[in-house]
This record gives sequence, C-alpha cells and structure tokens, in this order.
Amino acid sequence: MDFSQSDKDLWKQIYHTKDLLHCFNCSTCLSGCPASHGDPPLLVRNLARMVVYGLEEDLLNDDTPWACVSCSRCEEMCPMDVKPFEMILAIRRWQTSNDETRVPTAIVEIYKRGYTQSVGTNTELRASLGLPELQTITKMPEMLKLYQEMLMKTPVVSENDYMFNEE
Amino acid sequence: MELCLFLGCNTPAIRPDVERAIRATMPELGVDLADAEGYVCCPAFGSFPSTDDDSYLASSGWNLSIAEAKGLDIMVQCGSCYSSLRMGRDHLAHDEEKLARVNELIELTGRKLECKTKVRHVSEILYNEVGPEKIAKTIKKNLNGLHGVIQYPCHTLFPSEIVGFEESPREPKALRILTEAMGATVDHYSRELQCCGGAGGFSKSSPAEATEFTKTKLDAIIEETKADFIVVSCITCLMYLDNIQKKLNEAEGTDKYHIPVFDYNQLLALCMGFDPKQVASICTVPRNKVIDRITAG
Repeated sequence: MDFSQSDKDLWKQIYHTKDLLHCFNCSTCLSGCPASHGDPPLLVRNLARMVVYGLEEDLLNDDTPWACVSCSRCEEMCPMDVKPFEMILAIRRWQTSNDETRVPTAIVEIYKRGYTQSVGTNTELRASLGLPELQTITKMPEMLKLYQEMLMKTPVVSENDYMFNEE
Repeated sequence: MELCLFLGCNTPAIRPDVERAIRATMPELGVDLADAEGYVCCPAFGSFPSTDDDSYLASSGWNLSIAEAKGLDIMVQCGSCYSSLRMGRDHLAHDEEKLARVNELIELTGRKLECKTKVRHVSEILYNEVGPEKIAKTIKKNLNGLHGVIQYPCHTLFPSEIVGFEESPREPKALRILTEAMGATVDHYSRELQCCGGAGGFSKSSPAEATEFTKTKLDAIIEETKADFIVVSCITCLMYLDNIQKKLNEAEGTDKYHIPVFDYNQLLALCMGFDPKQVASICTVPRNKVIDRITAG
C-alpha cells in the first residue's frame, strides 16, 4: 500500500461522518454479505480503510462497491454503527462525480421512460391475466416532460446533460 | 382500509401474474388498492441513490407525493422498491433542508410533500392489518399436507431501525405464520436468512460465484427440509430463485433443482380459488404439482 499519495481528508469528501472513524476492521460486515463471495470480492471493511487512509486513486478504480446487492445486512450488524451500506452508496456517488464513465446507464433509461425497463407495454399479456392497462408515466407525455425537467435540475443529470439529450 | 399500490418495474413488466394475485386477494381481505398513476422508478439503488441526493430524493418525493395527494399510505411487494422508498422517506422526514429542496424540485407537479404517507410492505399489511386468523377464515382451499420454506426479503429486515416491522430481524416470523395460516407445514433450514443474491451488481459482475452462493441455499433446502415449494414476498427473490434452478441443472447435468417458487399472494390467490392461469402462470420451475394439490383440495 502506497501512503505517499494518500489524502488524509478524503473521507470528508466521500463519507463525512465520524461514525466511519469508529470502524476497527472487525469484519462483521463481510459475514453474510453475498458480494463478499464475488471475484473480485466486495470487502466492505477494506473499503472503509481505503476511505479513511485517503487512497484516492485505488478507490476511484475500484469496481467492487457496485457489486453490493443492497441487502443492508452490514448496516444491521455493524457493531460500531458505521452504516456500511450508506458508505457504499457514498463511495459510488463520489466515484460518479469524479468519473463520468461511472454514471449508471440505468439513470438514462429512467430519464427517458421513467423506469429501468419497459413497463406497461405488455398489454396483451396483461389483458390475458385480467389486468387493466397501467397508467405509466411513459403514457403521460406531459408528466414525463415535467419529470425530465425536474431531473435536469439535479447534479448528475445537469452535469452530464449530453447523455440525456433526445435525438 | 385503502392503500396506494406501488408496483415498481419487474412485477408489472415481467411477472404480471403476481400483480394479478395482489390485486385479486387484497380487496377480499378488506384492503382496497388505488393505483399510483404516473409513478416513476422507486429509484433503484443502482441508479440515482448511487449518484446524488437531489436526484434520489426528488424521485422518492415524486412517488411519495402521488400517494400523499390521495391521502393514502403506500403498499409495496418488491423488496428493493420498499427499501428505497422507505429510506428515501426516512431521509426526508428527518431533514428539513432536504425536504425543502425536494419540495422545490417537485413543485412543478403542483404537489407538496409533508411525509405523511408511510411506506408499508405487503407482508406487513397481511400480518399486522389482516392477520392470520382472517386469512384462515377467508380461504376456500388450503395447503394442508404440503411443506413450504420461507425466503424472507432482506429489504424488509435490514436495517431494522428504518425498514423493519418484525419483533426481531434475526428471527422473523411474519411470512411463516402467514403461510401456516393457509395450512402448510413450514420447515426451517440452516440458510433461511441467507440473501437470495439476486439484487444489485453481484450476479452480473460475478455470475459463477453468485450462482454458487445461491446453490448453497438451495442445497440446504433440499437436504434439510421436505419443501414442496419456496414462499417469497419480493419480486427479485421470486425471479432469481425460480430462474437459477434451471441454470444449475444445466450446469451440473442434473434435475436436482426443481422446487417451485411462489409469491405469498399467489398462494393466497390459489387458496381463494382464483384461476391459476391468471395468478400463477409465469414461472421457470413448473408449479403444476403444487397447484394441482391446491385445486384438488
């Protein structure tokens, strides 16, 4: 580990809570974490160390925060109340704001049609099950426009607006 | 009582038979459902919650305010939607500055958010509002003689301080008691509280390891129980545990993995006598054996 490049105040940028500093690397966050079985493994306690030590470059290049399944077991079990799931989200946010290639493609889908996937277009299947047509935002163009207008005022959309422009 | 039904994406798009089961069963138990017209993505944890507070909480606020305008609490089945909406609401209810910002952002809808609307999971409504006795009295058929195992949705357990409703998140019982209310015997197994592994990036970035992880759970069910079916109450658990069994069989050249997976409301709908073709037709592992037992009973 190369500490010569470390930024001691990085944790304040990424996850500004004193709770993080209480982490003593006990590894409770790994117990039961599905993604800790991944290749590479998501090692929450290591990420906490990296944030505290301010290892900026290593953290920027680390893909493992995105493997988290959001089950929030670590959040429940952490004996020091570090709120590790909140930390995972915070690391993703910091990565995204520093590297546009990290912007999740899902948000472009949500911007375009309100959802990560095509909802309400399976009309025939729904009718065969006795289901009504769904009043999705995709079918309410005026409403979808307002949603897009709202999102355009938020950091991730306004700062990466080229990704959201409709042809 | 009346609740605002938040459907999310996967249920209406991929497993609408679950939606049908929910819409069919809840009014029979005295829970009327209103639609959330113009709702958007909850938002999924891998989307706006992973980018910034404004876009995350504005989307939460968009959805919460639809129900609030109707004066209704929200009911959700999908674990991720439930957790995202409930965490979003929690942030807003405890931070005046964030709430003010979200109100500024959603102002263009003409709606205002006061965080009066609560976010509730369908299994919690069934357990606390309807109750097992009413379920037992309402059903026309039952699961007598059948064994089930439970997959509790992680998102309804952890963090218990924000999303929980069980007395103990380490020893949940709502889905077990609700399943027993229909006459089934519920078997316990060592990996009962293990996550299905289906949400988030894990199964996409480490497919082989993720499959192996879930295999340990299915093996425990097969070795330790007499399970005729798995009961879930989360669309991700349902799709993942159902679809992965075929993959495992193909990878290992066996047919060892064939435990049908049902959403709780699907079993409820079958026991109420609704048409299996409408309420429980979409699956990978065939459900005929269980469905035939119920309809014959």
